[in-house]
Amino acid sequence: MSRLAEVLPRRIDLRLLFLAIALTAIGIVMVVSTTAGSPRADLAGKQALFAVLGLIAAGVFLAVDYRILLQYSPGLYGLTLLVLLYLPIFGKRIAGAKSWIKIGGGFQLQPSEFARISIALLLAWILENDDRPILKTRTLGAIAAAVGVPVFLVLLQPDLGVALTYMPFVVAALFFGGLKARWWAILIVAGSLAIGGSWFLLKDYQKDRIRTFLDPNLAARGAGYQVRQARIAIGSGGILGKGWKQGTQSRLGFLPVRHTDFIFAALAEEWGFAGVAVLFGIYGFLIARALAIARDARDRGGSMLVLLLIVNIAGQFFVNVSMNVGVLPTTGITLPFLSYGGSSLVATWCMVGLILSVAYRRYVNV
Amino acid sequence: MPASAREDRRPVLSRIDFAMRILWGLLGLLAGVYWVHQVLRGEDYERQAENNRLRKVPVTAPRGFILDRNGVVLAENEPSFTLLLYRRETKDLDASLRFVADLFNRPLDELKRRVERDRSYYDFVPVVLQENLTIAEVGAVQARALEHPELLVQKTQRRVYTQGSIAAHLLGQLGEATAEQVAARAKAHPGDESIPRPGEAIGQQGVEASYQDLLAGVSGSRTYVIDSFGREVGESGHVDPLPGNTLQLTIDAGLQQLAEDYFAGKVGSAVALDPKTGEILALVSAPAYDPNLFTRRVTRAEWEGILTDPNHPLNNRVLQNVYSPGSTWKPFMAYAILKHGIDPKERVFCPGGLTFYGRPFRCHGTHGSVDLATALQVSCDSYFYTMGKRLGIDAIAEAAKLFGFGRPTGIDLAHEKSGIVPSSEWSVAARKHPWYAGETISVAIGQGPVLVSALQLARALCGIANADGALPTPHLFHIGENVRTSERFVYRPAVTESVPWAGLARDVILDGLWRVVNQPGGTAYTSAHVAGLDLCGKTGSVQVVAQKEARKGHFLPEQLRDHGWFIGFAPKDDPQIVVAVFAEHGEHGNTAAAPLAAKMAEYWVTKRRASPPPVIAQAGTAPARGAN
Repeated sequence: MSRLAEVLPRRIDLRLLFLAIALTAIGIVMVVSTTAGSPRADLAGKQALFAVLGLIAAGVFLAVDYRILLQYSPGLYGLTLLVLLYLPIFGKRIAGAKSWIKIGGGFQLQPSEFARISIALLLAWILENDDRPILKTRTLGAIAAAVGVPVFLVLLQPDLGVALTYMPFVVAALFFGGLKARWWAILIVAGSLAIGGSWFLLKDYQKDRIRTFLDPNLAARGAGYQVRQARIAIGSGGILGKGWKQGTQSRLGFLPVRHTDFIFAALAEEWGFAGVAVLFGIYGFLIARALAIARDARDRGGSMLVLLLIVNIAGQFFVNVSMNVGVLPTTGITLPFLSYGGSSLVATWCMVGLILSVAYRRYVNV
Repeated sequence: MPASAREDRRPVLSRIDFAMRILWGLLGLLAGVYWVHQVLRGEDYERQAENNRLRKVPVTAPRGFILDRNGVVLAENEPSFTLLLYRRETKDLDASLRFVADLFNRPLDELKRRVERDRSYYDFVPVVLQENLTIAEVGAVQARALEHPELLVQKTQRRVYTQGSIAAHLLGQLGEATAEQVAARAKAHPGDESIPRPGEAIGQQGVEASYQDLLAGVSGSRTYVIDSFGREVGESGHVDPLPGNTLQLTIDAGLQQLAEDYFAGKVGSAVALDPKTGEILALVSAPAYDPNLFTRRVTRAEWEGILTDPNHPLNNRVLQNVYSPGSTWKPFMAYAILKHGIDPKERVFCPGGLTFYGRPFRCHGTHGSVDLATALQVSCDSYFYTMGKRLGIDAIAEAAKLFGFGRPTGIDLAHEKSGIVPSSEWSVAARKHPWYAGETISVAIGQGPVLVSALQLARALCGIANADGALPTPHLFHIGENVRTSERFVYRPAVTESVPWAGLARDVILDGLWRVVNQPGGTAYTSAHVAGLDLCGKTGSVQVVAQKEARKGHFLPEQLRDHGWFIGFAPKDDPQIVVAVFAEHGEHGNTAAAPLAAKMAEYWVTKRRASPPPVIAQAGTAPARGAN
């Protein structure tokens, strides 16, 4: 034990750990502000509990050698698919979607959040087995299938927001795995067509979101309401903000889902541009730190795993923050570390644990 | 790991470096977007956030009371409840309106129209959905307050006319400000916070309209903090309203009541002035209506009843109806005769009628040889026919205009009619044909195209009653009082017009008018003589049969009867009151109109003798009068 106490601080990436803890703490503080005095004032305490659970989960992932996890990734992935398949068929509908499994004590588990881990592990395993500068076509197919099947299953729940959080995996796998310019062109064209085509598959409320994203003043009370109110919350924060628990947009309920999807708008209202800049800084350094860990990883599997995980987190961050200010349509993507939600927070901390695990094992002689 | 051994890591490393640049680039870009919204446009959003969270509820100022000259309350306020709709807090307009429609048993379409009408205003301006809620209705709305936070019951005050229909026409009534009125006032008073809101009650008629600004006061407001459901969670400030000024009118409620009682069940009008000041002591138009109808809920049936009443109860007959003056025209003819240099002692022989331009003109009696004073006393038409022919129409018109006929008197009530003073010039301009000399004969006895209002007659008579010929401006405003500072202000329009009497035998006309009432043979001696009152006056009858009704062929006996006029003043040498009474289809002025005039004059002169008017310091500025 004495050796571990000596070695751990040197080998655990403390910068990444503290940045992640800082974000989680800010999240809890903001959940307090957005729920205090309301019937949901208990959520901040729950979020703190989830943070502790997350830290423990991260410790477990740190302790287990990620190479073993990579080896078993096809099996883990298969189990995940079974759970995802179970939900649309046997799951209980909660808030319009069959996304949760009750685990007692009033808590629910959202498997689709944890699915991100096994998808990342499987993709890293696939990329490790194709380590040429440019990926083989067969590998491309495997990547598409590895992401496509869970996306399909999650859409059956339906939960567009979580399904969209799987998309950065494809981008990360293809970008860091290596793709010819010709393929990038084909992908971009196909992607645009798919986005255009999916218009016909979207539900009315989703179409409304896109319409009102294009014109937030379309209906002040209708679908554009959220976008408009979020922007008012952010804008009215000014440079220094209205102060913690002083955000009128947030506290008086004008800001929609303010403790989850729009928690960043609440932060922008109460802490102003100064708070926004600080949070951007923390996120920036966290992502940059993870990229550095990927660069220094001992093997391709570790690199790819870290890259897949951090692009996933970064992707959610960028989409959520853009959506809060109305630069992207409202999609129900939460802000990692900050948004209230046990599954999301614990799953994100599992991902942090994996990244720390890769960093911990960066020297060949361990 | 065998894979790692073969791997060329360079492409991956360069891709990681590229990703690093993308990361900071994207962060910078997003920070820029937040900078634009939070720093560059922050103030604008701050305002929007304030609008979101604050609800300003107007607090209508208590409207000033209206009193008679002795302090008798004619109009005051009582508490009332108004239902407001806040469109900004409305989630489902249809559901809100259906709720209100059910509660008040009103057609949904009507409510929709009401909301639609105010759509052009900012959505934080409330729409008045229903006024004068009962306590039960207030309870019903408040019981559903959580469900309908957009509906708010506002405690306001309702106008009450304490004397019922007494003085209805001069008091006027309140009505919802129309969009046009709001726009017109907003334009006239830019930046004024106290302009009426749509749906707010403002004076629409009578002194309520004339002195809207004076009576209304300045609205205040209460500002509430509301949540996104429109529920009030706190109060953030309030501005107290400034109550309206008390308005004391020149009216004497007793005199008014006396005249109104006389007209019960009859049609006509009466007006009494103080000839020296132009203060209106009584102003009656019959039939009247209850102005309280307008501040309560008027049912369609009640409203239709008022609108379709053949006697037009909404008309203020004193100034909005013009009639032929008939023989009440003769005193003013007498002035024209004197002015023309004709000797008042010159006599004309009346054989019961005369022929002019080949046409016979009847006199109502056979008066023999009469001079001017006698002609007035017995109302001899032959005398005035003869003199009228000698004067010609333009000399008559010139004299009539000196008495203020043919134009508004300037009373502080809106919609006053001008009447017609015919002249050769007028004929060409208005009728596109030259004046016929034969018409002059009719005009000489107040028939033909000449039209006057009762108010014009009363004011014109002041020009005879006053030794200096002064023609005061009739007015209702007596004293205004700021209820906060108790500062009083008086409005007495300066007398700028007068009838020139220099070198003319005014006493001959006074004598003639005195003899009408006080000497046997005078046309009002039997009906209006009161010993010691010294009432002077002139009767008049206006033929209806020869006019358009007869030509239309309707045969309605009452409508065919003549109208009766009486104008008079008392006492002769120190006139305190001038009265004009018009009895529609009253047949004769001496029986239908003169008795009321005598009673009114007697009432007032007796009262004045008992208590002479207090001397009131006159303030320099006239009160602001509402544009109408």
